[in-house]
Amino acid sequence: MATYDECVAHIQQLLSETVAQGEVVAEDVDLIEELGLASLDVMELIEHLEDVFDISFPINELGDVRTIGDLARRVQPLT
Amino acid sequence: MSLLDKLEAARSFQDHLGELGVNAIGATIDVVGSATEGRIEGRRVVLAGTNNYLGLTFDPACVEAAMQATRSHGTGTTGSRLANGTYSSHAALERELAEFLGAKSTIVFTTGYVANVGTISTLAGPGDVIVLDADSHASIYEGAKLSGAEIYRFRHNDPADLEKRLKRLGDRCSRTLVIVESLYSMLGDISPLREFCEVKERYGAHLLLDDAHSFGVMGRNGRGLAEELGVEDRIDFVTGTFSKSLGSVGGWFASRRHDVSPLRAQIRAYMFTASSTPSVIASTRAALQLVGKRSELRTRLWRNCARVHSALEGLGFTLGAPASPVIASIMDSPEQAARAWQVLLDAGVYVNLVVPPGAPKNLSLLRCSLSAAHTPEQIEHIIDAYALVAEQVLGKRRPAVAGAV
Repeated sequence: MATYDECVAHIQQLLSETVAQGEVVAEDVDLIEELGLASLDVMELIEHLEDVFDISFPINELGDVRTIGDLARRVQPLT
Repeated sequence: MSLLDKLEAARSFQDHLGELGVNAIGATIDVVGSATEGRIEGRRVVLAGTNNYLGLTFDPACVEAAMQATRSHGTGTTGSRLANGTYSSHAALERELAEFLGAKSTIVFTTGYVANVGTISTLAGPGDVIVLDADSHASIYEGAKLSGAEIYRFRHNDPADLEKRLKRLGDRCSRTLVIVESLYSMLGDISPLREFCEVKERYGAHLLLDDAHSFGVMGRNGRGLAEELGVEDRIDFVTGTFSKSLGSVGGWFASRRHDVSPLRAQIRAYMFTASSTPSVIASTRAALQLVGKRSELRTRLWRNCARVHSALEGLGFTLGAPASPVIASIMDSPEQAARAWQVLLDAGVYVNLVVPPGAPKNLSLLRCSLSAAHTPEQIEHIIDAYALVAEQVLGKRRPAVAGAV
């Protein structure tokens, strides 16, 4: 099982490789309103996380996810 | 963000397109002269973005049936199917559709969107699981969300990715509804349906096929991709629409494996909305007869698809999929797509402009849909208009000899 910090690190790495141009995105940045991700970008991020951790992430959970921290808290128990 | 901020954001995107001289989202067809011709902003255009695959919207038998039904049964039913909105013609259409599909029973809905939302949200519920293709239509996502089931996405058209997810679900597969489409409406790509059947059977899950776009278009009798692949008996549930090949409006739900009819009293989107008007039901019944009998329409449609697809490839367009009735050209940006769309319109060709998030992977598309009713001259006109886009927007050099594309 991955730790919360490992989940955060993976999400930060994926975002840095895609939308954040090498920058590290802080744990409490709002993915949509501050980072400007479209809903489809969030879905792609989930796909990558599912591969990294070999999990299935229910998209019903996305409604409450605003930040990297929110996402990591939901991914971590599935790992 | 307040409610009104959202309205403002939507307006600013419209304004942005407007600055490019494009009124794509609100394009109004002022006159429709036939299944393939109309008038938009004062220009005569060939309609190449209407999903009118068999061109039946102006078929004399369908038009006459609609007119007669209006005269004899009135303009509307003014009620839902469970109240006063089931006429004998609604029941007859359900029987005829069941016979055509070889289904145990069918349920007819007012639109295809409603058919998906209503059936998916009723078939699955809290405690169940829905595993859907990532590129599923909005109505599938909405139905899934409304169901209260746990929802997982798998990578588009990827049976191996579906298998990974079913494997993780273990014995919950018996409570799992897998949802795929036959022909995807944005990129025009076709589902590996046989492989999906194999995977769902291996894990004991159930499969719902949304056949909106291959019904009437594929299969020897027009029963769609499942007929073409010989897998109709392996699919648990099918939904479809009357607003593509059948040239009207409405949706349906059917099954060869189960009697779905009793479910109608559970489907809220069936119970609490007005039923289809008599004219719609009548023209749909007439069109359904033609789908089975007139296989030459499919031959003509696929000939048109092959011609346009190879011509656009020759012009240097990046296309979304092999030849099918939907031919999507992938553009570099929403702005470039909007410019190209306007060039086509100015040249007398109407297609659909698709900008993010309307298409998968945030793509911007020129979405052309072809019809059996497009004449050879109209097909060449469409190709000539795309050649202008290739030259003026993509910066490609025009081939030296006309028709060499």
